[in-house]
Amino acid sequence: MTPKSTAAAPSERGPLLFKDIDTPGLTSIETYRKGGGYRAVAEVVGKKAPEECIEIVKASGLRGRGGAGFPTGLKWSFVPKDSPKPRYLVCNADESEPGTFKDRELMEKNPHLLVEGMVLSAWAIKANTGYIYLRGEFDYIQTILDRAIAEAREASWVGENVAGSGWRFELYTHLGAGAYICGEETALLSSLEGYRGQPRLKPPFPAVEGLYACPTVVNNTETLMNVPHILHHGAQWYRQWGTEKSAGTKILSVSGPVKRPGNYEVPLGMPLSQLINDLCGGMRDGLKVKAVIPGGSSVPLLPASMLDTGLDYESMNAAGTFLGSGGVIVIDDQTCIVDALYNITRFYEHESCGKCTPCREGTYWMSEVFERLESGHGREHDIDLLLDVADNINGKSFCALGDAAAMPVQGAIKHFRDEFEYHVTHKRCAVNRRRAEIDEAQVVPA
Amino acid sequence: MSANVKVHINGRAIEVPAGTLVTDAAHMAEVHVPIFCSHSKLPPLGACRICVVEIGMPKLGPDRKPVMAADGTPEIAWMPKVQTGCTTTVADGMHVRTESPVAVKARKGVMEFLLVNHPLDCPVCDEGGECQLQDLAFAFGQDFSRMDEAKRTFDSEDLGPVVKKEANRCIVCMRCVRYCDEVMGDDALTAHQRGVWTEISSFNRQPLECEQCGNCVEVCPVGALTALPYRFKARPWDLRQHVTICPYCSNGCSVRLGVRGDEVLRARGTEFRGVNQEFLCVRGRFGYEFINRSDRLSAPLIRVGDALSPSTFDEAVALASHRLREIAAVNGPESVAFLGGEKLNVEEQYLFQKLARAVVRTPHVDARTRFSARVSGQAILSATGGGRPALSWEELFEAQEVLVLGDDLQGEGPLAQAVIIRGQHQAGLHITVAHPRRVKLAREKFRGDWLGFRPGSELALLHALTRAALEGGVPAEAPDVVKAPLGGLRETLSAWTPERVRAETGVEMAAIAAAAGRLRAASRKAILFGRAFTEHPQAVALLQAIENLGWASGALTEARSSIMYVGPQNNSQGALDMGLTPDVLPGYVALDDVAGRQRFEQQWGGALPAAGLSATEILDSAAEGKIKALWIVSDHWLRSAPDRARAEQALARAELVIVNDLFLTETAARAHVVFPVASFAEKEGVVVNSERRLQKSARALPPRRGTRADWEVFQAVAQALGARWSYRTAEDVFREIARLVPTYQGRLWATLLPDGVVWSETRVAPAVSTPTETRPPEADGLALLSGGILFLQGSLSHRSELLPRLAKEAFAALHPDEAVRLGVSAGDALELEGPAGQITLPVALDASVPAGSVFVPYAYAAVELNRLGLRSRAPRVTARRAAALAAV
Amino acid sequence: MSHAPVMPVEAPPRIEWPAERRPEIEAALARYPNKRSAVLPVLWIAQRQWGWISPAAMRLVAETVELPEPEVFGIATFYTMFNLQPVGRHHLQVCMTLSCSLMGADRLFRHLERRLGIGHGQTTPDRRYTLRRVECLAACGGGPCMQVNFDYHENLDERKVDALLETLA
Repeated sequence: MTPKSTAAAPSERGPLLFKDIDTPGLTSIETYRKGGGYRAVAEVVGKKAPEECIEIVKASGLRGRGGAGFPTGLKWSFVPKDSPKPRYLVCNADESEPGTFKDRELMEKNPHLLVEGMVLSAWAIKANTGYIYLRGEFDYIQTILDRAIAEAREASWVGENVAGSGWRFELYTHLGAGAYICGEETALLSSLEGYRGQPRLKPPFPAVEGLYACPTVVNNTETLMNVPHILHHGAQWYRQWGTEKSAGTKILSVSGPVKRPGNYEVPLGMPLSQLINDLCGGMRDGLKVKAVIPGGSSVPLLPASMLDTGLDYESMNAAGTFLGSGGVIVIDDQTCIVDALYNITRFYEHESCGKCTPCREGTYWMSEVFERLESGHGREHDIDLLLDVADNINGKSFCALGDAAAMPVQGAIKHFRDEFEYHVTHKRCAVNRRRAEIDEAQVVPA
Repeated sequence: MSANVKVHINGRAIEVPAGTLVTDAAHMAEVHVPIFCSHSKLPPLGACRICVVEIGMPKLGPDRKPVMAADGTPEIAWMPKVQTGCTTTVADGMHVRTESPVAVKARKGVMEFLLVNHPLDCPVCDEGGECQLQDLAFAFGQDFSRMDEAKRTFDSEDLGPVVKKEANRCIVCMRCVRYCDEVMGDDALTAHQRGVWTEISSFNRQPLECEQCGNCVEVCPVGALTALPYRFKARPWDLRQHVTICPYCSNGCSVRLGVRGDEVLRARGTEFRGVNQEFLCVRGRFGYEFINRSDRLSAPLIRVGDALSPSTFDEAVALASHRLREIAAVNGPESVAFLGGEKLNVEEQYLFQKLARAVVRTPHVDARTRFSARVSGQAILSATGGGRPALSWEELFEAQEVLVLGDDLQGEGPLAQAVIIRGQHQAGLHITVAHPRRVKLAREKFRGDWLGFRPGSELALLHALTRAALEGGVPAEAPDVVKAPLGGLRETLSAWTPERVRAETGVEMAAIAAAAGRLRAASRKAILFGRAFTEHPQAVALLQAIENLGWASGALTEARSSIMYVGPQNNSQGALDMGLTPDVLPGYVALDDVAGRQRFEQQWGGALPAAGLSATEILDSAAEGKIKALWIVSDHWLRSAPDRARAEQALARAELVIVNDLFLTETAARAHVVFPVASFAEKEGVVVNSERRLQKSARALPPRRGTRADWEVFQAVAQALGARWSYRTAEDVFREIARLVPTYQGRLWATLLPDGVVWSETRVAPAVSTPTETRPPEADGLALLSGGILFLQGSLSHRSELLPRLAKEAFAALHPDEAVRLGVSAGDALELEGPAGQITLPVALDASVPAGSVFVPYAYAAVELNRLGLRSRAPRVTARRAAALAAV
Repeated sequence: MSHAPVMPVEAPPRIEWPAERRPEIEAALARYPNKRSAVLPVLWIAQRQWGWISPAAMRLVAETVELPEPEVFGIATFYTMFNLQPVGRHHLQVCMTLSCSLMGADRLFRHLERRLGIGHGQTTPDRRYTLRRVECLAACGGGPCMQVNFDYHENLDERKVDALLETLA
């Protein structure tokens, strides 16, 4: 029995994907349909041309919600029009970016929206088979999704003859087994094909040669779950939220010592400070914000002084970071930045697939340097060494995991070099709430 | 001809073929871009990142025309990130910078990362001195290290008797794993764990289940994988390295022997040279040990009474020549026979038959001691297209359809097998294997087709294939002279109905027709055959049937041949070319070709005898006492002769037996004169492989004291017999060959390096033969299957330390159902009986052996298959459970 | 002549799928156009059956999806969730990544170490618990989080985790 994932409970969870997400019984198809579910399938499949669907999604401005932010309609349009090979749609539900837990809640509570999103997206790219690649820990989510797919199959929203259109779409779930790298789309496809989950050369891009060397579109869960709304209401309707270049809503996953951590769906462009201070109720326990990682551990942090940056792709880029997956990790003023980056760097070392030299060796090296800094054996040149090692990884590795390991280090040193220098000169953290708490841990009576 | 593309490397413009990788284009521009994970036999990986360079294309304006800079050159839009040169194909107009600050920093960074966990093992690492990491670190790295953290470490492992793994040194280039998968088809290595803890190993760290070829060691760019037999023996700068041609099979691999003093310490591939480059099989790589053995013969031996006692070379020559002259005078020259020579160099083969024919004047010369039928010296040439331009191993790689007839290439031609496997993985090659057992190439993972024909039905299979091939009519590319006969053949073969095919071969006609259809349809194809057919009692009919199939399927055309003979020994082809066959002179001049024969008679002085007896006829004739003198070279005749009892009789009855060998084999022990000869590595000479490629094998070390090259022995005896031979070197002999022998005319030793020269000259007219009738399938006993295996080939391999160990124990393999029927289990003693005797071997269970047969590889020292007295290779034996295994 | 530790020479034994697993395996194989794609689901079935992926299980999986054994060895060891050794009845996987760490995961882990008397990767002698540090579980808003086998438990502290352990037999 898995307790439901906790989330703070403001009166309305969000404008679109979270609007009715806490409706009791939403996981069953009857309840889902009552709320308008599968109407888009009835309207589109067999009725609207796939090319038209692609144009609508393009016009909506929907961008990949997994981290890269690539325009979704554009990605769909890369599938060759006249390829005789079968096409595949793959949902990237590998959600492993630290700080991110939105897809989990979405799938747990509203699985049919994902099914519907996949049916419609597959129709648009003329795919007949779809896979939902779930991270291995999401075993219970797989059960929920399998049940929803079975219900959808019974109602002919999935299967041999979708909505009487004659078009066939088979949808399967697939469970990973514990590898962050499988969130990278080509590594995901490697894993799905039954190989070690290591990324592959691009080009060819998956849209041209992906799963089984066939045209494949890989989209994030949240991205796909926007599609039914967009195809039902239209592109302009979707643009009522967000900015010109970052249209629509985004679910931010907020963690750290805020009063109300959890998933929040907001219009793109809302200032980060509003999210943290208003929706999340600000910091607890008298703590203050020192820094915030806005888009999952792979993106550089923002110091508290830059908290007003808008939660959209462009504003974050301008601030020297990325919106990424929307995993907002709030770091308080009693936490050591060096300690935090040590934690993050170790994560990338553990998750490095080992294929390429810079990431495999570089993440190990950076971790070792961080360990020395943390344990009081740091040296003067270690800080510039970290910067240089990070620079030698960034842009040189086979895939983005290397960049993801390097950029946070560069960002942290840029904004908090003084903390690093403190470690060198004083051989300890300036503040470290976490370490103090460990020492306080009660001794269990025998 | 692919279109050329213009690229700029560091500002220098060059033209390269379209599809060239940036790293190769740089190489062509004489710019060195380092590589580790990249390998010519493997698809691009882009993992190590050492080859990163800056790449840019001319900026295009809105009018799609290049934007020009102030100085009139196009402005370049450089890609924001460096790119791996080994995964990037050139594009027209591309610019590449390998020495810009960005490129240099990136490369130095990667170099530094490679040395983060790589230990400073150089003083204790075998790779030192020939290590790519050392060399590239020196060229492209820095001379200090900023990394002083603890390094991650692994335990070192022996992955079996051949491969030593020091995982600390591994740079995870994955060459070993990929090579084992894509080229060897063994999939024995894997990377396990991930990240810095990625470790290469075998399944569950058990000894590798593979061909033990050591190619993983060869391609490893660092000392992570090294060869156990060579461990700690020498430094590369201590070694003199020479490229010889492997003494085992007829693939013709170049083997780079490393010699220190008078000892051969190791063998390696040659990276860019030869037909094999980096590839060697386990025999080529580790089978040199016999050269170093202390029990090599070092003095000639002369029979005195019952024993052989050492003598001098002059004494031995005098005795041999005296006795030869005596016996020839009393009984006629036809009482002397010359046997063996498939492992000699071409120069020696030439002199052997010249000694026989022109000095002793006997017609009985045959190198092919294993043959059981009388096969003409031209028959194999006919079957392979008469001398038309032949297939190279490179062309085999590009074939669309390959048919392997009857042989297990794993034992007969490991390079050919590897070429086919890599072709299947990388170039869309489709394999069809016709073999009673499901041999390696027939395994499902290679996605080919397997025609598992009943042993003894080889001829029926060929007829069925030819019939099916002719369903599509007579091929247009066939020579005119065979077109009409092919039409007639089609008529005759219509008797091969599907029912008859099934009844005789056990294979469905549909499968055979599909195979034939694929051959017909393929524009690039190959058929390979070997000793399974040439040593067969129906060899003559089989070779004719192969030629028929060749014309019918288009594998033979007017212009060229795609049929290869994979001979059993390294110079089987040379023996045929040099006329070590009783009916043909060097260059395939028939003995009844008056004009051709006259040329030789003029040069050699005197009339030449007519056609003589074949090896199997010599065997019988000598056993009956009609042939009284035998000279046996490069052959352990007691093991190779089809009937051991007869061979023992022959040796016992003969008044003179001369043997040239490296060791005192059982055959040599029964001789009257034994000449100790040099090994392949101790003499220079030419060897001809299955491609008909002449390659010069270098002399890697001087002959063992007391030994001479075979040709020197022949000359000494010839001179003692009065011949006016005056060859000073083997090259002198080759010059004579190049003057006299068709297909070799005009060749020069000097041009035979580095990659040799393939001869092609049509010597035999195309023929379509009337299909020989097949014999009805037999039912008594079990069919005896035999054949070559990978780890052992010939008596020289028995003298290696490693190879017999890898081969393990001899066995008789039965299908599990057959074992049940016979009432035996694995390990029980099984007695196999033939007309002349029996042998007993332990049972092994093997589901790839068809029921109704028993598979006994003959290459084990303990297996003396010819004791059974069977004169064919698909014979029947009676098998029964024996009380105990015979003491070996 | 080497100084290598002795490597296992014996091949692992052959084991078979229990009959009741066959339908699951067939269903897994049917979801993909080739057999090798089913290697992860089949490995999961093996782990559900035997609790861990032994070398014998790797052999069986290799045979089932028609892959070479070394390749399955490489795949099974790539992913962290396949147990390469037997584990206790309750596999306690505590997330240690930044968000949970900020909320006290390190302290929680230290508590568990002391209470159970085992460290990371170890199993209690009664085979009841195995304790491991893991990376982000996608429960960051509810940290500290611990996955027990497949069940998520969030917002933990010492008291709550002690209560939880009591319910795990």
